[in-house]
Amino acid sequence: MTDQAAPATLMAPSNPPPMRRGKFRLATPYWALPVVAYLILFLVVPLASNAVRSVTLGAAATDTWVYYEKLFFDPYYSRIFLETFKVAIIVTVVTLIMGYPVAYFMVRYAGRWNTLIVFCMIAPLLTSIIMRTFGWRVLFARRGLMNVWLTDLGIISRPLAILSEPISVYMGLVHVMVPFMVLSITAVLQGVDLRLEESARVLGASRWRAFCNVTLPLTLDGIATGCILVFVITNGSFLTMLLLGDGKVQTLSLLIYQQFNLTQDVGFAATMGNVLLVTAMICLFLQMRFVRRKGVKS
Amino acid sequence: MSSVPATGAVRRPRRRVDLLAWALGIFVLLFMIFLLLPIAAVVVVSFSSASYIAFPMPGYSLQWYWRILEYQPFVDALIVSIKLALSSAACAILLGVPATLWVARSRSRAAGMVGNLLLAPISIPAIVLGFSLLYLLSAMGFGISFTALLISHTVVSIPYICRTVLAVYRALPPDFEEAAAVLGATRWQTFRYTTLPLIRPGIFAGSLFAVLISLDNLPLSFFFGTASTNTLPVVMLSYMQSQFDPSIAAISTVQMLIAVGTLLVLNAVYGVDKLTAA
Repeated sequence: MTDQAAPATLMAPSNPPPMRRGKFRLATPYWALPVVAYLILFLVVPLASNAVRSVTLGAAATDTWVYYEKLFFDPYYSRIFLETFKVAIIVTVVTLIMGYPVAYFMVRYAGRWNTLIVFCMIAPLLTSIIMRTFGWRVLFARRGLMNVWLTDLGIISRPLAILSEPISVYMGLVHVMVPFMVLSITAVLQGVDLRLEESARVLGASRWRAFCNVTLPLTLDGIATGCILVFVITNGSFLTMLLLGDGKVQTLSLLIYQQFNLTQDVGFAATMGNVLLVTAMICLFLQMRFVRRKGVKS
Repeated sequence: MSSVPATGAVRRPRRRVDLLAWALGIFVLLFMIFLLLPIAAVVVVSFSSASYIAFPMPGYSLQWYWRILEYQPFVDALIVSIKLALSSAACAILLGVPATLWVARSRSRAAGMVGNLLLAPISIPAIVLGFSLLYLLSAMGFGISFTALLISHTVVSIPYICRTVLAVYRALPPDFEEAAAVLGATRWQTFRYTTLPLIRPGIFAGSLFAVLISLDNLPLSFFFGTASTNTLPVVMLSYMQSQFDPSIAAISTVQMLIAVGTLLVLNAVYGVDKLTAA
């Protein structure tokens, strides 16, 4: 499924049940050794050596920070660097605005339709990202469904070249990301007691005010989880940018792919990878802080 | 997984026609159309009789399904993908589950750190991991091979399996294992006859996720593929970059049917609703 993490990410581990002291425990710490060794060897070491490569390889052998300077200060690359975050932020905001009402409906109103909605939301997550991107190409191609419909309805006279516009990239990304946002919010919204909102209403708050002052603040956890998830995954995707928008939306991940495929500038690709990695780690750290704080409060 | 009821609708006191609910309902309907439209379009196009993509379609046929059967790279790649997905999930179970059992019951600092490590691969941009692993594995002599694919996919499968097992195991009281131990079972017997049957749904659900993720993984796979070990997404991508015909639609539809079938199994065994009730 990508480019991306998956539905399982939505299931935050619950806190361990209270443990009585001195009771039997099946697993000993040794049981964790193989996987820790495996992950150190095949996760930590490669990522660390990637960071080392970014300051030692190629041009960096003589000038340590040359690739980072190139990435941050060269007008062409700094534009791509900024665009990466611009794309991720726009997609995050759009998925939040689209996703919140859907999550709210699912939890408060959907009733027996909930299963159907969940199924429809997870089904696209399980289709390949290539299929979904291909679907947008089918819809938006010069002689695709959209152009044919719009022409038939007399709305446009000539086919639009939507596929070569950045909007198609945003459509594709929002389509991939929005289920993550919805499922992150429903997970938290389900725990919010409806009676709190009703109390606010009884005490004279308008529906909108009750929502803004009671429900919305109580679901900030879900919103934050969803936003961080969408932001991180969008940062790492390149396929949508590769196949839609005619290369008009350039981001770091796409550039890594191109560096690997075309120019083979390993040092520079390592640098960009490292910047993406650090960004993801910062987001992960923020999320861990967030979850821990919530734990203390409850 | 707690068993929070899936909706709050039962508690809803209002009986009058609710404008907000209607407005939201229509919005959700549009949202579902947005979600499903591109997928439906692909399925429709896969039955096209034309060799190009254009609407209205001239006619319907199954020729693209025959074409993917005849096009050897697709068939080979599908087999590689399935083999890879199953074996990486198996490796991830063997590595991940024992550690998860410890992490779930221990409150030590180390257990917390190991828990974070187990879940970390999800949060790392896959393309960065693939790129970095390529150099390490080449240096170790695996280079581009099935082994390299297996190693990288296992790294990414571990968090999915550990997450679901963690949730299931933490929801279990330790009493069963204590009882087994008190009655004289060895550690292995306790695990084999008490713990394993209880956590099996978690292992199953987690591996299904891991399998589906692996089947669709591109950012890791394309670094390690050779002509004989390319996975399906890699072959599809390179085909798609050179041609825009309905055979991609046909193979996508087949892949989707595999995934939806898997989801139905998952639903029967585990309950899809529970996925939103974290």
